[in-house]
Amino acid sequence: MEHEIREQGDVLIAVLSGDIDLEQAPTARKVLLECVGQGKSVLVDLSGVGYIDSSGVASLVEAYQAARKTKSGFALVSVSVGAMRVLELARLNKVFTIHDTIEAGLEAS
Amino acid sequence: MESNSAYDLGAPRSGGEYRDTLELLAEMARDFSTSLDIHQTLGKALVRITHYLGAEAASLFLLENDDTELVCITCEGPVDIGGLRIASDHGIVGRSVQDNLCQIIRDVSQDPDFKSQVDEKTGFTTRSILCAPMSVKDSPFGAIEVINKKGGDGLFDENDRHILQALACSAALALLNARMALELVEKERLRHELDLAAEIQRGLLPQRQPAPYPVAGINLPARGVSGDLYDFFTLEDGRIFFCLGDVSGKGMNASLLMAKTSSLYRCLGRTNPEPGALLAVINNEIFETATHGMFVTMVGGLYDRESGKLIMANAGHEPPLYIDADGNVTSYEAEEPPLGIMPGTEFPEVEINLKGGELYIFTDGVTESPIDGGKMLGATGFTEMIKELKNLSLADRLDMIVDRVAGDRKKLHDDITILGIEHRAPAE
Repeated sequence: MEHEIREQGDVLIAVLSGDIDLEQAPTARKVLLECVGQGKSVLVDLSGVGYIDSSGVASLVEAYQAARKTKSGFALVSVSVGAMRVLELARLNKVFTIHDTIEAGLEAS
Repeated sequence: MESNSAYDLGAPRSGGEYRDTLELLAEMARDFSTSLDIHQTLGKALVRITHYLGAEAASLFLLENDDTELVCITCEGPVDIGGLRIASDHGIVGRSVQDNLCQIIRDVSQDPDFKSQVDEKTGFTTRSILCAPMSVKDSPFGAIEVINKKGGDGLFDENDRHILQALACSAALALLNARMALELVEKERLRHELDLAAEIQRGLLPQRQPAPYPVAGINLPARGVSGDLYDFFTLEDGRIFFCLGDVSGKGMNASLLMAKTSSLYRCLGRTNPEPGALLAVINNEIFETATHGMFVTMVGGLYDRESGKLIMANAGHEPPLYIDADGNVTSYEAEEPPLGIMPGTEFPEVEINLKGGELYIFTDGVTESPIDGGKMLGATGFTEMIKELKNLSLADRLDMIVDRVAGDRKKLHDDITILGIEHRAPAE
């Protein structure tokens, strides 16, 4: 898994790409929690994620729960087809705020 | 000077008492191979080295604390510096370890790295030093330092350097072997604990019921312990309460949450056998206590074997598959997210009548298993397999499916769990 953090105004954009599996989930978790810990709104760009398993989803859930505690914004953007299938099957699209594009995410932040 | 050595090797011997370095190496190797206490053996080796090289004192340092410190684990000579801790780049010994090079210092007063604090504290006078790193495959993990050559010009020479390097290598290998042996013992202990945990976990799964009991399950963990769970039990009125779940992640943390969820379901289900309401209670409980974003996907249900009526609720789990008596397949996707994520979630129930058909609930370890050269089995492949094995009893069918799906069990990448529920139409 690769990751890149970009800052756009008051919003942090965490771009995760590659596979987020059991081996990579701890890195995803660390990256996302560090972003949320800065107190800014966080958009997680999943456009380049090929495969995400339940441990990868758990890292998103933990960051989402941490953001809720601090009342910070947290949303997923540009979710790849594969990742979206996993999220929809588990009805996690009811949990996460999901935007089609980064621009839409920024506008809503 | 008197030696403070704790290891009695008899009267101090001159180098001449050893026929050659090989003999000393052989003696050290024999000590290392017969002793189980590596530190004691290193102490004994240091005494031999000190005597052989005709030095006044010697010490053996090992890296500790993520290689930030060098600790004197044994010493020989008139002063005891055992337990002394220095920064890993401190002094001559630190330089030897950092550069992974042997150091000969003929006059320490001329060396900027020499630190005189120990001498000042102990009253000992260091004049010359020979220090060799203990390293294996270019990775140093300590050093042996000998101080003040007795007799002659009081200086260590190239011959001493070659000998100390060889002896330090021998000690390094022995230490590495001892550490690896300890790691093996620790791994064995952990494996034993994992086996015990797996055994206790297997005890949480229900026992197979003799035919014609209409519910059967199977669980094959990819590791010793499993993050999957299934359960079923018969209520007093004859209906069967069941569940199957999958905890996010794998390993011991997933198995602990599995044990908790399974216990909650069984315990609360006996008095509150309403699948949707029970999932709501367990959801709130897991939300309050789970960490690291962990969650559980789960299907819980209640089955009336007489009428074939089944109600179930699905919390973010893989869609259960209903195969009717004619082989038509219906999939029931979840309407709500997994347990442990959103408190206060309500889980709607769906009702179906099996009418001579079967319902299969399973984890993604089944459908994501690679078969036929890497292609995933998928829900379609799974239903084809079920239909192909329709002449077997439910329990035998599950066993056969797992045998086929698991293939070479050593390569199993995820836990495999299936729960089957069948309805036998009453004979006319």
